[in-house]
Amino acid sequence: MRWLLGALGALLGVYGGWLLLSRQDADRLLDAATWLVAGVVVHDLVLAPLWLLVVAVAGQLLPRPLQAPALVVGVVVGAVTLLAVPVLGRFGARADNPTLLDRDYALGWLAFVAVTVGVVAAAAVVRSRQSSKQSSRQPSRQPSRQQSGRRPGGPGPGGR
Amino acid sequence: MSRLPVPREDSFGSRLRSAAVAARVGLWLGVCFTICFATGLLSHYAQNVDHPIPFPTSPSWGYRLTQGLHVTTGTAAVPLLLVKLWAVYPKLFARPPRGLRRLAVEGLERASIAVLVATAIFQLASGLLNSAQWYPWAFSFRATHYALAWVAIGALVVHVAVKLPVIRAALGADVDDTALDRPSATRVGAVSRRGLLRTTWLAAGVAVLATAGSSVPLLRRVSVLGVRSGDGPGGVPVNKSARAAGVTASATSASYVLEVVVAGTTHRWSRDDLLALPQRTETLPIACVEGWSAEGTWTGVRLRDLLDLAGAPAGADVEVTSLQESGPFRVTRLQANFADDDRTLLALGLAGEPLSLDHGYPARVIAPNRPGVLQTKWVRRLEVLA
Repeated sequence: MRWLLGALGALLGVYGGWLLLSRQDADRLLDAATWLVAGVVVHDLVLAPLWLLVVAVAGQLLPRPLQAPALVVGVVVGAVTLLAVPVLGRFGARADNPTLLDRDYALGWLAFVAVTVGVVAAAAVVRSRQSSKQSSRQPSRQPSRQQSGRRPGGPGPGGR
Repeated sequence: MSRLPVPREDSFGSRLRSAAVAARVGLWLGVCFTICFATGLLSHYAQNVDHPIPFPTSPSWGYRLTQGLHVTTGTAAVPLLLVKLWAVYPKLFARPPRGLRRLAVEGLERASIAVLVATAIFQLASGLLNSAQWYPWAFSFRATHYALAWVAIGALVVHVAVKLPVIRAALGADVDDTALDRPSATRVGAVSRRGLLRTTWLAAGVAVLATAGSSVPLLRRVSVLGVRSGDGPGGVPVNKSARAAGVTASATSASYVLEVVVAGTTHRWSRDDLLALPQRTETLPIACVEGWSAEGTWTGVRLRDLLDLAGAPAGADVEVTSLQESGPFRVTRLQANFADDDRTLLALGLAGEPLSLDHGYPARVIAPNRPGVLQTKWVRRLEVLA
């Protein structure tokens, strides 16, 4: 079953490779290959280390209760900003076509960040109030959440 | 000279970087890629000249839906792919195993992953740039995006085949189960695995809301990062302007006539002649391959009426030629089922006004359920093919 699936995948991939190589000349193919490699290099050697650095610095600078909300904001804003690069830079804008890229993207981005920060902050406040109420009622429950590390079959939510 | 500190697989201690997270995010990434692939194939087929199986003309909003889905799922896949790659990043630094056989097997697996990651990033990045009409490359977008879609889906199927036991075990167990974790992945972070997953779904949802307004009118005001606001002459945006197509002079020339060629005989109509024929009004969407779409109320001559006047039989394909001097869609094929559909118009007006120059003045084709690039503007000639 798995071998069959693997063979099917390989077949699809080979067909795609043949399509790629048979329909464009060498110059254009070289350009496509450059973009293929560049994507991996930019992610693995630039974006991923950059994110590691940001998380490490934030972990040092931010007090513990702020770290979780900051991470949520960081993931949402980071991912959406990355995919908005083409509109934020307005690289495809054309003087003869006012219907393309026709928003104020800088203002839109600021609004998006403000709403994200606001919603996550509000959720964090509601959450911490709820958990402080809960922990004052059941003081023993909270710490067990932290213990699911390397204990297969151990107590807490880590066990099955 | 000191060496760069290259991390090892066990340098990464966060317990969030786990098979449990990778499998769950990967599942939804797989769903998005499958929808992208299926809708992409459909769009590619719709743009082909020959249709061995006729592309349906109904529902008129079919292509609007599938192409909107294509771009939306591609957009949602960006946060998913980022988190997926983050979860498995330590694997990049895994030491190669000992023994020739194991080395060969792992080498093959790693090669398939390299292909998968490279094509996945390429497809999402090139698609995003294309939807914003930014082309900083020399390769042919359509040919490359199409070919690499097959490579990406093939590599994805191989990846699922290789990882099936792990995927099954991870999805079958609780998200906090540690049985599949790397030995070093024990550090508790700022959020739990559930928290990270919820954050990922949130990021994907926000990415869709922030951009989908270009195809979903209800979201227009919310989609602050959408490529288009949806405004334009007659309430319909413009993909390529008359100036960019180089037709400003020929489209406004007093000597413009539409030629309809049937069996070697050429029939000619000026725009006034066309306006004197019975006018029909149809509400049809225009849906671009770049993902945006808008509905318009088009007025003009029913194409079948015009073909009847020229003595063309039903059931024949029509070759449509634009006033454009160049461009890949200067000449398009209107397949017989589209040419004969009652809703297909040679449109002369939009939203109760004469067609604007950027929307294809003096006359354009508008047919139900077709990619926007085939709704030829500035029509100069219709040739009925035998």
